[in-house]
Amino acid sequence: MAQILVVDDSSTVRNEVTDFLSSNGMDVISAVDGQDGLKKLQGDPSIKLVLSDVNMPVMDGLTMVEKIRSELNSNVNIIMLTTESSPSMKERGKAAGVKGWIVKPFKGDSVVATFKKMVGA
Amino acid sequence: MVEKARLVSKVLVHDSNPDYFDRIKIFCDNNNLIGVCAQNTNIMEVLRSNIDLGAILLSESTEDDPIGGIMLGLEIHELRPELPIFLRREKQSSLDGLDAGTQRAFATGYQIDAIDKLKPQLDEYIFSLYYPSVLVRGIQEITTDALSSQFKEVTVNTNTPYIVRDRIIHGELFSLIPIESNWCRGYLMLLSDENNMMDMVKMNKTAIQAEHADFRSMNEVFAEITNLVWGTFKARYIEDNETAKETVLTQVPIIVNQQHKYISFGTDEPQLCFKYEMHDTSDEKHQPVVLYQRFIFNLNWSPDDFKEIQTSVDDLLDSGELEFF
Repeated sequence: MAQILVVDDSSTVRNEVTDFLSSNGMDVISAVDGQDGLKKLQGDPSIKLVLSDVNMPVMDGLTMVEKIRSELNSNVNIIMLTTESSPSMKERGKAAGVKGWIVKPFKGDSVVATFKKMVGA
Repeated sequence: MVEKARLVSKVLVHDSNPDYFDRIKIFCDNNNLIGVCAQNTNIMEVLRSNIDLGAILLSESTEDDPIGGIMLGLEIHELRPELPIFLRREKQSSLDGLDAGTQRAFATGYQIDAIDKLKPQLDEYIFSLYYPSVLVRGIQEITTDALSSQFKEVTVNTNTPYIVRDRIIHGELFSLIPIESNWCRGYLMLLSDENNMMDMVKMNKTAIQAEHADFRSMNEVFAEITNLVWGTFKARYIEDNETAKETVLTQVPIIVNQQHKYISFGTDEPQLCFKYEMHDTSDEKHQPVVLYQRFIFNLNWSPDDFKEIQTSVDDLLDSGELEFF
């Protein structure tokens, strides 16, 4: 049972984000790519927030978002955490149902309150 | 008018006549060259330990042999054919008098009184491409920020960017990522020593848990640095939806020879290089970790079409902040 799913192919980012969120009292699981993210989300209905990278092998983050909405019919909160910041990429995310966008590097202090609110912590 | 970045290049200097050292030094200083002096006895060793050179300046004679420098040049050309060798001659400024095979090993000849005539050769062999200073400065900023975000308690120092013609790989660890736009196509390469980088991981200077760290976890740190630099480079310098000019995107094979620590991108063009040193602020005795960064625009380089994307610069100020849709 987790509140937040972190999807990133970089273990550095997964560790950094997971450690930060866990130390702030949130339950976090992680996935290594979009396909793994879909599987983890499907297997844990308690997840309230997905925090995902865009550029990943196997399945990219935006394709995963599209599948979350269309195949899993889930309205879970999704925020992208990525080095991408182009308007077209954000537009695609917005159209797919992404709720917010964070440009890396991750600075937890500035978002922790919002995340807590999203997961009801 | 694009302001061109001031770049330097390291050249190996070996001359048999000590009276000429000052003149060669002045020439180097006036032409953005950093001279690395070598003696007859250690030149091959100096060559081996300097793998980021732009050129070599030799005299045709050595202390003990009137054609010793020519023989040395042939030997160096055999080992590092990418490096242009400028040969100081006693009686003429050209390569005349040398057989055709020997001439091929040297870029040109010169006489000390006319050393300034080498300037066009430097422009041809070393400073053949120009780089906008905004871009060069920006790359340093982006990379410094990326390193500072991935390593705790470090300060990052960087030197004047430089040009190399060498194709030798630094250290054991390198990453490559393509850069595609309508003004440049090529690769960003980062290189470092495994041990120094691993020390940072083991000292808990990264997000990796030190007790479980192995070379794979260090690779992850390296990959993330590459990703951050690449992503910010794209955001700052590549227009949204911009695609490379060519209808058919050409590619060339990249060759890595591990035995010789050699990498080829299929072009003789020099590479734009940066060196970063990360100093541990919590333990100043610790050796700095050195990271080398090379940009190889082997498929297209059109700096006249370069422009910084202003909106993205504004966006960068907000990195780490959540933007709600």
